[in-house]
Amino acid sequence: MAPLTPYTFIQCPCSDPSTLASSRPADASSPTSISGQERDDDDGRTFDPRAPRSNYSLYPLEYLLYCEDCHQIRCPRCVSEEIVTYYCPNCLFEVPSSNLKSEGNRCTRSCFQCPICIGPLGVTSLEKPADANLLAAPDNAASPPSGPYILICSYCNWSSTEIGIQFDKPNSIHAQLAKMRNGGVTRLTAKERKEKRREAAAQSGTGVPPTAAPTTTGGDGQDLDVEAQFANLKHFYQGQLADANAAGASSLSSLGDLGFASPNSLSRIMSIYTGGSLHDKKAKTRVGTMREALDSDEGFKLADLDESGAIEKLHEEGYDGTVSSEQLSNQPPNVGEVQLHGRSRFASELRPIPYLLRTKRSKRCPICRHIISKPEAKVQTTRFRIRLVAGSYIPSIAIRPLPGGGPPPDTLQPLRPAQFLLTFKNPIFETVKVTLASPATTPGRFASKVTVLCPQFEIDANTDVWDEALNKDGDKERRRRKGEDSGSGPAGGGQAEAGKIWERGRNWVSIVVEVVPASLRPPTISFGKKEDTGPLREDEDVLEIPMFVRVEWEVDAGGDEVGSVPSKDKDKEAKEKRELAYWCVLGLGRVSQG
Amino acid sequence: MSRRPPRGEYIETDTGNKVARKATLVGTQNIMLGGKTVIQPEVMIRGDLARSVPSSSSTASSSGAAGGAPPNNTAVAIGRYCFLSRGCCLRPPGRLYKGAFTYMPLRMGDHVYIGPGTVVQAASIGSHVHIGQRVVVGEFAIIKDYVRILDETVVPPNMVIPSFSIVAGQPARVVGEVPEGGHEAFELRELYKTVGNNPQPAPS
Ligand SMILES: [Zn+2]
Ligand SMILES: [Zn+2]
Ligand SMILES: [Zn+2]
Ligand SMILES: [Zn+2]
Repeated sequence: MAPLTPYTFIQCPCSDPSTLASSRPADASSPTSISGQERDDDDGRTFDPRAPRSNYSLYPLEYLLYCEDCHQIRCPRCVSEEIVTYYCPNCLFEVPSSNLKSEGNRCTRSCFQCPICIGPLGVTSLEKPADANLLAAPDNAASPPSGPYILICSYCNWSSTEIGIQFDKPNSIHAQLAKMRNGGVTRLTAKERKEKRREAAAQSGTGVPPTAAPTTTGGDGQDLDVEAQFANLKHFYQGQLADANAAGASSLSSLGDLGFASPNSLSRIMSIYTGGSLHDKKAKTRVGTMREALDSDEGFKLADLDESGAIEKLHEEGYDGTVSSEQLSNQPPNVGEVQLHGRSRFASELRPIPYLLRTKRSKRCPICRHIISKPEAKVQTTRFRIRLVAGSYIPSIAIRPLPGGGPPPDTLQPLRPAQFLLTFKNPIFETVKVTLASPATTPGRFASKVTVLCPQFEIDANTDVWDEALNKDGDKERRRRKGEDSGSGPAGGGQAEAGKIWERGRNWVSIVVEVVPASLRPPTISFGKKEDTGPLREDEDVLEIPMFVRVEWEVDAGGDEVGSVPSKDKDKEAKEKRELAYWCVLGLGRVSQG
Repeated sequence: MSRRPPRGEYIETDTGNKVARKATLVGTQNIMLGGKTVIQPEVMIRGDLARSVPSSSSTASSSGAAGGAPPNNTAVAIGRYCFLSRGCCLRPPGRLYKGAFTYMPLRMGDHVYIGPGTVVQAASIGSHVHIGQRVVVGEFAIIKDYVRILDETVVPPNMVIPSFSIVAGQPARVVGEVPEGGHEAFELRELYKTVGNNPQPAPS
């Protein structure tokens, strides 16, 4: 099993911890859910990092933001996002949001992904630069290679020739591809289809019976593609609805109204598929049935139940010729291919995937609505106008096994005490007071003992690095005055002592946490209670300590509030107390199962 | 992998580069180091694979030099505070250009970490980029700023990786976004201090 690097996850206040405690009534047998609750009774909450809900509220420090107005941590789950810029991740061009409505959320330039492996596709000329080596004349060879062009994958070597597609021009591939079906068959645009319909209508208007008309799509409708069929059906049913309205029947809606052939159902379905343009307020007044489409001009198409072609193809190409569900899910929607209405079964039916656009987003505090993160709009710049990250407000916690005093760092031995060094680093320009609280035993089925040797300490302000170099002596003196330790080296000659910090520096303090890992044997006998005797669950061997961190510091009152006037007379006493408290979980390592 | 390297394992230059004596730098006259860059043992940089077709044509993006500048033969350009781990390889990408095969320069910004055993043939790598171990970056890939490439990723040739992407897989795909609070983690100043002939212990 991969060794576990120690981690610290912090809980965002948006997940109310009081609900967490009650969310696990089944774990009443767990020792901490009862004793822990009593201990934390004053603020009425306890925290179990293994509770299913905790998955959604714990984040590494880097993922957390901080609202300066609420003085609170904010997480990706509770901030509200606003899109600043849409751009293509391949060509890095910005896409105006107005284009999104008309052209969708994919790049419409020449950026495509391989339908087989999702690698990037490049445009290459099919025509080989044949004599490049023989007649190497760089000057006149500068004439650009001519078409046809193909898309080719630089990772798996797939090329668009495998689906029978070539391009005349090396640019605006998206537009060219939109007019082409696999195999190179021309695909009509919506406009062209409309015109064709009109022609057909004109012809049928001259008295030629529609079924006999050899015009649009052939009599039996087998050539009717999905889009043309939809257009024809839509036209047909719109006509039917208009007729039904004109008839103006006025009886009440009946059960028959729910059938496919009823105008009501139909207008409802059509409003779903056509964006509500057909929604009709008078729908209730229409009853009766309408006839169904009868020929291809009306969108009628016989279902092709002959699968012999597919079976033969399977025989020929085998499993390799079929598509995986992952490849299918990567396909752009509304491909409009004939087969199964866009759901391909064979690799030859796949289409190149236009790149999905990506966004730059700003983030707002969910409570006060202030912006707490805002990137610059330009695609190519990485600067932020606003970036209030939690890491510049709350102390970071680094964990490492204490050298000398413990087991090999990769696994923890059951029932063997191990010591870990927690290093708290203060990012703010004020001295902070840190108070830690953790349950004496970890929650869950396997209760490991936890002792925080120094649960209360101060961390010096994050002053300039040069200040430290210049005031090294002054620093030491201050420390001695506080009577905390005898220098900046490890306290007590490498021996962890209760109530003493281990080591301190400019803006950091290390303390020792001692754990006695529990034995990982599920209880074999249950004493009448609902004891969980199941086998070890995933990651249940990871020793996680819930820890409540309270950080207190003082700021100049009104100093950082916008619009406040600093009054000189009470400047000296005008120190405002600030406090921030949150749960976090320290993952120390895996407990050996031997 | 010995904990105490023999004295003088690195050559430390005036600009603060720390180049391991056991690194293989071919064609050093075509390799530009911005300073404060660490090159660990068994690293290979192929400066000999320099451009063989003059870049004077109007299509090539000029590197900004004024008229009459000497021909720019830089094959590999590395910024400041880059860290090339043991056994990685930097190799300029090559292709047919106007009918003749030529190599193109590999450019790298500041604070770029390249993991052990990784092969890089990118056209450009931005600043604040972390590339894990045993990664392959294909020819002419373009990696923008603040990108993290996880271990054993294969970045296909010509792939463009936009800023703030976390990338993994074979072939590489974007699997996540670098969070706002994760920008500082790309800084390599502290790592720089931990190697060389007088390494300092990593800060706690
Ligand atoms: Zn939250
Ligand atoms: Zn694009
Ligand atoms: Zn591919
Ligand atoms: Zn707020």
